[in-house]
Amino acid sequence: MTLQQRSTFRMIVIYLGCFLALFWALAPIYWVVVSSVSTRAELYARPYKVWFPSQPTLEHYVTIFTVGAEYRGGGYSPTAELMGLGLRNSFIISTFSAALVTIIATGAGYIYARMRFRGKQLTFYFLMLMMPLPVWVSIIALFFLMSQLELVDTLPGLISIFVTFLMPLSVWLMSTFIRDIPREVEDAALVDGCNRWQLLWNVIIPLARPGMIAVFLVALVSTWNNFLIPLIFTRTQASQPLTVVLTLFIGQYEVAWEDMSAAAVMTMLVPFLMALFFQRYLVRGLTLGAVKE
Amino acid sequence: MSRLRLNNDTAFILVILAPILLLVAALIYYPAVDTFRTSLTSRNLRINRPPEFVGLENYQRLLADDEFWEVTRRSLSVVAITLPLELFVAFSLALLLNENFRGRGVVRSLVILPWMVPPVVNGFLWGWLLNGEYGALNGLLYQFGLIGEYQSWLREPQYQLVWVAVVQTWTRFAFPTIILLAGLQGIAPDLYDSAKVDGAGVFQRLIFITIPQLLPSIAIALVLEFIASFQIFDVIWTLTAGGSAGGAINPFTKTLMIFNYELVFRDLRIGLGAALSYLILLMSLGVGFFFVWRLYNQGVKE
Repeated sequence: MTLQQRSTFRMIVIYLGCFLALFWALAPIYWVVVSSVSTRAELYARPYKVWFPSQPTLEHYVTIFTVGAEYRGGGYSPTAELMGLGLRNSFIISTFSAALVTIIATGAGYIYARMRFRGKQLTFYFLMLMMPLPVWVSIIALFFLMSQLELVDTLPGLISIFVTFLMPLSVWLMSTFIRDIPREVEDAALVDGCNRWQLLWNVIIPLARPGMIAVFLVALVSTWNNFLIPLIFTRTQASQPLTVVLTLFIGQYEVAWEDMSAAAVMTMLVPFLMALFFQRYLVRGLTLGAVKE
Repeated sequence: MSRLRLNNDTAFILVILAPILLLVAALIYYPAVDTFRTSLTSRNLRINRPPEFVGLENYQRLLADDEFWEVTRRSLSVVAITLPLELFVAFSLALLLNENFRGRGVVRSLVILPWMVPPVVNGFLWGWLLNGEYGALNGLLYQFGLIGEYQSWLREPQYQLVWVAVVQTWTRFAFPTIILLAGLQGIAPDLYDSAKVDGAGVFQRLIFITIPQLLPSIAIALVLEFIASFQIFDVIWTLTAGGSAGGAINPFTKTLMIFNYELVFRDLRIGLGAALSYLILLMSLGVGFFFVWRLYNQGVKE
């Protein structure tokens, strides 16, 4: 092979690989999006599927938010309210949890990155010990604890669980981010007579912003995507987020796939957009800062 | 002056750390201990009798129960199919994305997307793709003449776990890909240059340089993916478990976590379920450490 041929061959292999990779990663997502905007006749066409809908429609989205999922037999399941409330609950739970965790973890991250005090090691290990361990053992008894506190099936209950479970990772991330900030700036501020609160607010937070965004987004997406915790700690539509609502669409005998697809797209929309637009923050946060860009 | 500063610092630390430590103690540690305590009792909410202390009886009962071993075997099967599959996909992708070509950044961003989709959606998504009557996989294979008629991919119990593993791979592969890609980018280029001078071909370089150099990254990826797939729940719940709306749970894909959920929150056998949760914890820890130790040692010795 000449050099020219070899380079052409290399490019063919690479772009073939890219095609396969993109097909594997995106085809399922493409299909659920297409399903959600197809007319029923085209969606259920067989044996030849309609890969590109000829009359795209938003009617399934309207259906799930107004009357509920429509089954092929013609009946409706009363899920309309569930969708609207689910969307609201998902938004409230994930934004509040993420905001709280980011604020608290920034303060704690600063403390562990910069300050010296008795019990620093001990409290740090206390926080970090549970990070690699599955929280499942805590969840079982936590359920009964939360029932006693009457926090089951409430938004504050869910938010406090998420904030706590996300805390170790977030504190760890923030402390590594803050450790990377040059120290001179702070020393100058301390000499000028700033107290710690002013220092945190005026110096650290502006400099740690990329880290805070990463922590916020990781917390937001992991809370939004979580299913097991709301499955256990919710009972009614008052607090069920979209991930739980989605499973309620599956009837015992029938599934309204077109409506279900629309609901699925609604459920994945937020994390999906975050992943498209803020990917470098998310990747950095989710790989524990191991991958820096 | 310095005394005042010290006090201010103490207040600062207390105000920030005290609530965090309290929350973690109250919502993680205390319940973890409480679950263990419960695992030593006969607590069962179906029976109207106060729970009694039974020692390790719940653990003994689980270990003597065929269903426990059956469920464990199933969880290990999911792991045994998922890990090689995931590692293969992630390693190939990392090698691809480590090359220089136009559009690499775009491909990288798009390939990561499945990882961000809620796993519970993935189970549904693939259930729809694999549907026997209207599934897109059937449509695709039929269109290319690969099957004569539509198949019910999820009907056969022995293939259900395989599909669970495939969907788990689709859900998680982006993470090991990123870890391995970072590992690849950390390999010194001189290693490859000197190997080229010595006349090593592409495959020799892969086997004698890339893979040994990558072992620490592979170890990390394997451990984290082991824990993720050993404790798989969301994907099974929407793909094959069929337990929503209070329906019966499909026994053929009942893995440890599904079994544990059923024991505690369906059957209300809290003591037994608590014991199972500690057995799951022990198994994850043991295997996790073994993986790290084994692979990391290998990487260091060679």
